[in-house]
Amino acid sequence: MGCSTHVVVVSEHPTALIKELPYKIGLVLDNSFTDYSFIREKDDEKITISLGKSQSELLNKIFNSMFQGVSEFTARPLSPTKPLDLYISVKVEDLQLSLPRETSVNIFEIWIKYKLEILDGKGSNIYEWIISSYGRTQTRFLGSQERALHQATNAALRDAGVQIVTDFHQIPEIINWINIKKAPKNES
Amino acid sequence: MKASSLGEVIVVCSFSLSILIVTFMSGCSTSTVVDEQKSSSAKLSMDSEEKIVIMGRRHGNSYETEPGFIDCIGNNISRSENLNVVQEKNFLDTFYPWFEPRIAPLNLNRMKVALNSDMIAKKIEELKVRYIVWVDGSTETSEESGSMTCGMAPSGGCFGFKSWDKTSSYEATIWDLKGLTEKGKIKVDSKGSSYILGVGPPIPLIAQVQGVACEGISDRLIGFFDSE
Repeated sequence: MGCSTHVVVVSEHPTALIKELPYKIGLVLDNSFTDYSFIREKDDEKITISLGKSQSELLNKIFNSMFQGVSEFTARPLSPTKPLDLYISVKVEDLQLSLPRETSVNIFEIWIKYKLEILDGKGSNIYEWIISSYGRTQTRFLGSQERALHQATNAALRDAGVQIVTDFHQIPEIINWINIKKAPKNES
Repeated sequence: MKASSLGEVIVVCSFSLSILIVTFMSGCSTSTVVDEQKSSSAKLSMDSEEKIVIMGRRHGNSYETEPGFIDCIGNNISRSENLNVVQEKNFLDTFYPWFEPRIAPLNLNRMKVALNSDMIAKKIEELKVRYIVWVDGSTETSEESGSMTCGMAPSGGCFGFKSWDKTSSYEATIWDLKGLTEKGKIKVDSKGSSYILGVGPPIPLIAQVQGVACEGISDRLIGFFDSE
């Protein structure tokens, strides 16, 4: 094996400027998510991107901005100690990257595909949501590959956050669930 | 070799080197063209508490406006005229996710929609952001030629010659959030050639193409505002 690049993604993610929903959720992030590393071995080069910690922090920030309360779990509890309105379980489905030498453009690109399983408080499936996020950074004169990949990964993580914040309320199944949740309150 | 011949050789070499350096120095200069368009001849007003934010456009397919270029403009403006500038990163984080590349408002109609959100409008008012300057463009490297090898020569230095051209092209658009109007545009195009000569230690002669573009756009932007 020739060259080796290891990027540990460290980032300070912002909270989202959004009105929180009056629900308490369980955020289920198992070890394969919190310790996630992408490894690619190609053309005598090994590239490792460790983003598990950073993506877990991002989701915590995002969902804490979106909901009244967030409890984190490594697995969905079979007999929950406190009632929660939703469980959201997140997995990395795929990560792809492209380097400037593989394309005709001077940019590093990262795609991350997430799968979010959204369940109600009783564990019934509401929606299975696939998000494809994208981040890139231009090559810099004398800039390192590590730095470029770090920036591109960070951009992809921010983009995932954008989609969660802006699209969650537009999912018909979620709109329907919210309407059902509101209904009993309206009747009483 | 006789002393006089040696002297002649040194003079010829020095002369050749001088010509080479003069050629390189003139070669690494840049040419810049700055154009501007104003909605009125009056200077843009703002009170002492109001702020400007300079932001890069990053929605294009093949390029993104470099964050370093945006910082350069922001620093020039705040240093030169005591105009209050909000750093791009701070603004993006404060308003996350509403100005991220995927959903950032591309025109004033979209900005109006964004400001319909109470949270965004309230935050803009709280931070006293009066103007948004959107900068769109990038610096590209082209016409690379030559090659250089380092560490192979007996002296351990470099041997060879490398040159490249850089082209910067940026356009800044000023939005006034009070009344939601466009107040003007500034366009800058800058070009230059850079060289590295390897005869032992490498001698770089780098054209500051992006730096010149930054100065050009910053100076014109300052000229838009009445900073007294």
